[in-house]
Amino acid sequence: MTDPAIRVDGLSFSYGDLLAVDNVSFEVAPGEILGFLGPNGAGKSTTIKVLTGQLTQTSGEATVLGMDVVSQRDEVQGRIGVSFEEKNLYENMSAKENLSFFASLFGIKGFDPNPLLKAVGLDGRGDERVSGFSKGMQQRLMVARSLVNDPEVLFLDEPTDGLDPVSSNAIRALITEQAERGVAVILTTHDMLEADKLSDRVAFINEGAIVALDTPEALKMKYGSRTVRLRFTEGDGVREEVVSLEEGNAGDALKAAVSNGDLATIHTEEATLEQIFIEITGRGLES
Amino acid sequence: MTTPGERSTLSFLPRWSIVWAIMRKDLAAYTRDRFYVLVTILALVVYVVLYWVLPSEVNESIEVGVHHSDLDSAFEQVTSSGTEGIEFTEFASEEELLSAIGANGEDGSLAIAISFPPDFVTQIAGGKDTTVKLYVDQDVPDEVRRAISGFVREFSLAIAGDPLPVTLPSEEEIILGVDRAGEQVSLREKLRPMIAFLVLMMETLALGSLVAVELHSRTLGALLVTPLRVLDFLTAKALFGTLLALSQAVFILLLVNGFASGAAPIFVALVLGALLVTGFGLISGSTGRDFLGMMLFGLLFMIPLAVPAVAVLFPGSTSLWVKIIPSYGLVEIIFRASSYQAGWRELMPFMAMLLGWCLAIFGVGLYILTRRVRTL
Repeated sequence: MTDPAIRVDGLSFSYGDLLAVDNVSFEVAPGEILGFLGPNGAGKSTTIKVLTGQLTQTSGEATVLGMDVVSQRDEVQGRIGVSFEEKNLYENMSAKENLSFFASLFGIKGFDPNPLLKAVGLDGRGDERVSGFSKGMQQRLMVARSLVNDPEVLFLDEPTDGLDPVSSNAIRALITEQAERGVAVILTTHDMLEADKLSDRVAFINEGAIVALDTPEALKMKYGSRTVRLRFTEGDGVREEVVSLEEGNAGDALKAAVSNGDLATIHTEEATLEQIFIEITGRGLES
Repeated sequence: MTTPGERSTLSFLPRWSIVWAIMRKDLAAYTRDRFYVLVTILALVVYVVLYWVLPSEVNESIEVGVHHSDLDSAFEQVTSSGTEGIEFTEFASEEELLSAIGANGEDGSLAIAISFPPDFVTQIAGGKDTTVKLYVDQDVPDEVRRAISGFVREFSLAIAGDPLPVTLPSEEEIILGVDRAGEQVSLREKLRPMIAFLVLMMETLALGSLVAVELHSRTLGALLVTPLRVLDFLTAKALFGTLLALSQAVFILLLVNGFASGAAPIFVALVLGALLVTGFGLISGSTGRDFLGMMLFGLLFMIPLAVPAVAVLFPGSTSLWVKIIPSYGLVEIIFRASSYQAGWRELMPFMAMLLGWCLAIFGVGLYILTRRVRTL
């Protein structure tokens, strides 16, 4: 069995009297993408800060690539990549200079920024100062920066926030590519559709605690309503009918609907991750 | 042991490859900031030009215009002995004398003039009253007026052949400290410490800006998830600020002949001064909430710190409160070493004072920045 890339066991963190992370435990396998979902102030960023060595936990243990995040912080930080939600690039430097500077902090000799710039769709723009970049271009550059040291674990905070659909898809493809080559990814996002598309598993975090952790499909199965919505044409209008799959005669009802010549569409009533989150926590992700 | 909520700083030695990478990045940022480049070049040019334009010598004598009609031999006899510091220019008529004096005259080259009446010798020798006109420009200090007035009295007594009505006591002059008589310093030389100080302080603002930018643009957050440690960051900023300030201060002192004498103590003072202003730069960069706040903090330090350099321009005893300003030691070392060729022994108290302030301010700067970094 493969050792987990990230192992968190009973992790807690307090800002003074405020308990920000409450006894959190989870693991992320190499090549796995874990969606970290929760509203602002839920404890996502604090957990990431502990895992990336920016904060020291109050209690509990956390290892990245088998190394303790406190006592082996330098080693851990040498093998992870972090992309932030807030723009934090050197704006008076070019894209290439930004990447090369960070590569030098990792002790990388002869670093070539061009492949990374190409991967995020910034090829040909590398010599331009970042101050002239759009928000989306800066976001892409930050993702590229998180990859300069060829990391084994990636922490991505809202990596597609503010990007146009084409750029978002390029970044998603890059994340998937990283996971396919064995990189463990923790993806923090508000975008439930993105989490659904990219994540192998999702963790719902609320008030500092993980309240659900599973694959999106399993969560939908567990929390979604097992119903089918049928739409029939009726004169100039439309008639809807909902069939519960929990009921014993559901099969007969569906057969009858299919044989009915007026049937227009059949929709599964699968719950979205956001609906599941609200069902579990009683609050929305934007709150 | 690391406190929860803070970054670990368990390592005690910086990693020089990382320090060097940050310094190179900062140098690039500094040289690309058109404002600082312009201000730096402008300041260097203006200060150097100002220095060389100012007079290099001190004219210690007072030029006095004189008109008399019957004093030729007597005047020459008296003025040839015991009139050190006064240069007499004789005028043939009182009209000519008046045209040369002060703001009211056509010429205006003289500030003081004496006009003896035609019967001066006769009247004095006969013990009769007479009046000597003393013309004094409105800007002449009162003590100079009194000195010239005293000269006229002594001159009159000499003409009359009368001894002074009192027996003057013998005087023994005891100079406390180093006797600087005859070593008057030109305005140009007095300006030298001010120039060095201003260049150093200018770099305080530059460093403060570089630190503030890292904090407010949150680039420091990105740095702290790499192998960079807080110690590496602090070392890089402190070293860059110190070298930047030192190199420019050394450069400008070379241009204003500041190392002609006392080069070693002046260089040491500049190193300490660069550390001192770096400390102020770290404080202003860490405490200002934005660029404007940083500038205000910088100016808040700059104004009182400039007082000792200004005090050098106006000779006289320095007040105690000026002596406790952190930049006082720096200014005194540069001034005394370059203008009076003061040696290590004389400069040591100032050096110790500067070192003490340097350690204190630099320590406070590092502490404040460390706190800011840890609580990001």
